[in-house]
Amino acid sequence: MKTSESLEALRRANPRSQASFAQTVDAATAEVRLRIATAGATDEPRVRHVRPGRLLVGFFAAGVALATVAAVAVSVTVGSSGGTPGGTPGVENAAAAIKKAVTLSAVSAQQSGIVNVRMTHDGELWVSKVIRWNRDNVEISDHSPGGPSSGSPLLVINGMLYGHDPHYQGWVKVGPVSSIEPGSGTTPTEQLGAIREDVGGATLRRMVAAMTDLTTTHQSDASTIYSGAVAAGQIARKTGFKEGQAIRVLPFGYVAHGAAADPASLLHTAVTVGSNGVIREIAVTWGTWTYTVAYSDLGSTPPLVAPANAKSLRDVLPRATTSPPQ
Amino acid sequence: MKEGERERGRRFDALYEAYSADVVAYCTWRADSPSDAQDAVADVFLTAWRRLDDLPGGDAARVWLYATARRTLANQRRSRRRRAALAERLSLAASTHEPSSDPGEYLVREALRRLGPLDREVLLLSEWEGLSPAQIASVLRCPKVTVRSRLHRARRRFRSAFERLAAAERAERRNCRASDAPATSVTHALGEDS
Repeated sequence: MKTSESLEALRRANPRSQASFAQTVDAATAEVRLRIATAGATDEPRVRHVRPGRLLVGFFAAGVALATVAAVAVSVTVGSSGGTPGGTPGVENAAAAIKKAVTLSAVSAQQSGIVNVRMTHDGELWVSKVIRWNRDNVEISDHSPGGPSSGSPLLVINGMLYGHDPHYQGWVKVGPVSSIEPGSGTTPTEQLGAIREDVGGATLRRMVAAMTDLTTTHQSDASTIYSGAVAAGQIARKTGFKEGQAIRVLPFGYVAHGAAADPASLLHTAVTVGSNGVIREIAVTWGTWTYTVAYSDLGSTPPLVAPANAKSLRDVLPRATTSPPQ
Repeated sequence: MKEGERERGRRFDALYEAYSADVVAYCTWRADSPSDAQDAVADVFLTAWRRLDDLPGGDAARVWLYATARRTLANQRRSRRRRAALAERLSLAASTHEPSSDPGEYLVREALRRLGPLDREVLLLSEWEGLSPAQIASVLRCPKVTVRSRLHRARRRFRSAFERLAAAERAERRNCRASDAPATSVTHALGEDS
């Protein structure tokens, strides 16, 4: 074998030669834009004077526009910088409208909100949880049918973790969240971090930026459904293996196999925007599975309070371990 | 937006336009997963955006971006090691690179894996990124003469490893009459993330 033969094989294996390389660059571009926009919101001084409706061109300008809108707030029309290639003005308007809704929802979600995350299979509920948050305080209740912790909420108030003990039938002060062993599972702090990313706009922006074949449906209640196809890799970027199969970790921690695990798989995605311009629901469908995230009370969820009658774990543990399971 | 900011934005746009594909290509192969690669690319350009005024002009900017990408990926791996349990899980995803239709790519990957990290880096910076020995020396922060000797050795070792693997594969093909396994259908199955 000649030297050139091995080197030619090496050159052919250059990532640039892969068929999906352009798509990879596009995905990275969306991420870079997002990262700069997000960093801009925290690094840059808040720009007070933004002209509504101004068409912003260029990568940097689009990023700064997003950051500025997020910082200053709301009634600014975002330019359709990420318009669908070859799209009609209507499609570009839809893309702009959905981006505006994402920004508005992200601003509202920074403070507080409620999400109801559900997965159904053939129309039947498979898993479900409700997450309520206000600033750094969060409540997570699992409502999965037959789930081990179904109906028992976890609560984090001012860094303290509270659990609802089924044996004691009351609230237990488990301990500070900071004392939870890293790597022992998804901690409430990690959950809150994920919420901030998923609800706070990062996930939404990535999905919306990647949406193709965008169609708009106006509902009788003045809400609008924007639907299209989004590559699974843009809906959730975390991947791994579980029970020998490739998985994709969807927003809010549920995992999906099959088509959803393939980053290039185009999944049908529908984003419902309420009449108030805030995102109400996101639904992703592949095969017989549907994954929905319903938002409510973004920015207006009442503060969470620590349970007044919570007992310390030390007081409850002997009783909980000696009493028979019910 | 002030004129200065606009100018800064234009410079960044030009930098991104010129070199984004290079940085994506660099990170794609070296990161442990596609999502890590995306993170790394975003970190590199965020750094570039913040330090735009310090960036060298022309092709030296590309070298600067490669050097930054190299450090970013190294930091990514270090931070991952600190979270051992998660790292173990995610390292399984290292094989999530998209399979290629080119059967030779498997041999290339295997042959590259058999090189030392520095040999591999020198070889790929030369063959995939098209950098000169002087530019590679800047990325790796080592003397040019070291790069030259490493490059020579890396090519030789790569060729040798590739030839051995190719020969082994040919022998295996001759001995193995079994047809390719049919593609397995993956059933949907869901469970809660641990």
